[in-house]
Amino acid sequence: MTAPALEFPPFRLPPDTEALRTEIRAFLKQTLPTITGGDRFKSWNSRSPEFSKKLGAKGWIGITWPRQYGGGEKSFLHRYVVTEELLANNAPAGSHWVADRQSGPGILRFGSEEMKRSILPRIVKGECYFAIGMSEPDSGSDLASVRTRADKVDGGWLVNGTKIWTSGAHRSHYAITLLRTSGTREDKHRGLSQLVIDLSLPGITIRPIINLNGKHDWNEVVFRDCLVPDSMMLGNEGDGWMQVTSELAHERSGPERFLTNVHVLKELVKLVGRQPGRHAQEVVGKLAARLWSLRQMSLSVAGMLENGKSPVTEGAVTKDLGTHFQQDLPEVARVLAESDAADADDIADFLDMCQMATLAAPAYSIQGGTTQILRGIIARGLGLR
Amino acid sequence: MTTEQTPENETRQMFVETAARLFAAEATREVINELEKGTWPAGLWRQVEDAGLPWAAVPESAGGAGGTIGDLMAVLREAGRHAVPLPLAETGLGAMLVAQAGLTPPAGPLALVIAGAGSPVRIAGGKLAGRAQRVAFASVADSIVVVAPGAAGTEVAVVPRAAVKIEAQQGQTGEPYDTVTFDGAAAAASAATSVTPERALELAALARVNQMSGAADRVLALATQYAKERVQFGRAISTFQAIQHMLAELATYVAVVGAAARTAARDAEEGDGAFAIMAAKTQAGEAAHKICAIAHQSMGAMGFTYEHVLHHYTRRLWVWRRDYGSETYWGAKLGRALAEAGADAFWPSLTASSIAA
Repeated sequence: MTAPALEFPPFRLPPDTEALRTEIRAFLKQTLPTITGGDRFKSWNSRSPEFSKKLGAKGWIGITWPRQYGGGEKSFLHRYVVTEELLANNAPAGSHWVADRQSGPGILRFGSEEMKRSILPRIVKGECYFAIGMSEPDSGSDLASVRTRADKVDGGWLVNGTKIWTSGAHRSHYAITLLRTSGTREDKHRGLSQLVIDLSLPGITIRPIINLNGKHDWNEVVFRDCLVPDSMMLGNEGDGWMQVTSELAHERSGPERFLTNVHVLKELVKLVGRQPGRHAQEVVGKLAARLWSLRQMSLSVAGMLENGKSPVTEGAVTKDLGTHFQQDLPEVARVLAESDAADADDIADFLDMCQMATLAAPAYSIQGGTTQILRGIIARGLGLR
Repeated sequence: MTTEQTPENETRQMFVETAARLFAAEATREVINELEKGTWPAGLWRQVEDAGLPWAAVPESAGGAGGTIGDLMAVLREAGRHAVPLPLAETGLGAMLVAQAGLTPPAGPLALVIAGAGSPVRIAGGKLAGRAQRVAFASVADSIVVVAPGAAGTEVAVVPRAAVKIEAQQGQTGEPYDTVTFDGAAAAASAATSVTPERALELAALARVNQMSGAADRVLALATQYAKERVQFGRAISTFQAIQHMLAELATYVAVVGAAARTAARDAEEGDGAFAIMAAKTQAGEAAHKICAIAHQSMGAMGFTYEHVLHHYTRRLWVWRRDYGSETYWGAKLGRALAEAGADAFWPSLTASSIAA
């Protein structure tokens, strides 16, 4: 009749990755400061170069990369476990996150030998951080419509244009930037390339974009006649679109799609205590069941990737479910806490945490592919388009 | 719609292919509809029996096919995918439990009674007392397998149907969901078992989750096919983005049930899988609501008719989520265990799929 349904065959992480998990847990327990009171709700998802350097010293950044560039030559499943444990334990891994997850692998795959040698070892040490220059004021989900141009001049590329929503650009050393090196907007994905741009170069202005919770993570990055050396072209000129679309499969279904705010659930378990009432049991159990199921899906996708498949639809399904779980979590936790508490003032810290998590939540289903983009991908997988 | 494409091994693949072929050819809409009118599909049962499917997880030494519980679950996913109106789950588990207690599984279809709060059944001196409600297929089973407290621990008993009183009732799947009164009925055989009623309930919940996964797959296939064929405003409704996004969302809920069901089946094969079963039945129960709602909305009035087959699958999802512990029951049980272990054990429990100390 019709196409086979989506399948997520069970996948179990190999024993040596579980051994690594034990090691990381011990390291995090020792390294992460014990924060008490209301402050413990405010420490997550943050950047700490100091922590990144410690993690790098353990060999847990660039863990899959070749040894010649400082990597650990381990599997993506090892990386999966590192990522899970960093997220689940609220580690301040934000500084090196993008470099480790996206930029380093991109350079490894497409970059010149010179670029690999000069940049990758610094990422591995936890000293070199990256931002991603994709979105523009007029190019969001429709990424192929970027306007930022790089024109060939003697000794390099002259970059002009504006990137937006550039996370952490003000604290990064480089931004891998998608731009047009030939043709016009009408050429769509043809004529796009990626430059690895040193953010300290002249001609770059980085302006903060404060988000709704008052934080400065995003930036507007304006390039005005910024001269980028030839050697910083990532791969071949004109391959930019292929490069940015090929990296999305690994990115879509990773643990960051369902564990970003799992601390809320852990705090909820703490709040309800060892012998909660029936309703609290049920709510906690249902959240845990969703989280467990999501994790099994994500593992299944990791297993498929490890076996050389390209689970594009499965990755989109996992991200869609995962981001909505993360959006529901603070809301469900808040409602349960309020209905269980004799007086809301008794749980003010917990409610503050839920509030903060709620303010962060809208971004989950926007970044890395909006719900609507994902559902379009899934619909294609179902043969509907 | 094809069958599962990624079985774990060759034996599994054989079970899946045999079941899928047989069900597709024989478990027709007519057979399903006839059962709802009270006609037991004796021919279908005979073929299923000849293929050895109900005894997938019974050792060859006890007359079974010598497969694992994972194989039985794969067969049940296929059964769910075809709304097979037979007590395959009950017979499969009943025979397995009887064989595990050292007894010979009886021939013929079985019903399963697990003692619990709603079914206070006891076994003493080979006789049974008590009453059980919502016993699937009791009125058409040859025997009833009972897991209940005995004089010294849990016992499993095989009770001929003729020995019990049955009030025939129809469940909302159209299948028998009868009340069974034992009233001193004598067991044809009974023995002590290490499988507690609590454990038997987990296994039964696992069976339902896998049936739900198959049925959910079919619901998605039906809705997808309908959208491609139904033309309105001069085009197939599958070309409307609103419909595409509805069905994409439907696919996410179907997928999560499938992932949870298969992982729980694997965990039950490799260990006891208790954590995974609790989580999977909870997740499946929650997802069933959305799966049915979206599928029906996407298929309009057509999907609401008796004539269309959609309801055979959605009605089963709605009933099966209630069987052997709903999402509320298992969710609370899982939440209770996690809370008792404490917040620091939460994440280790999640990654180990068992409650960490």
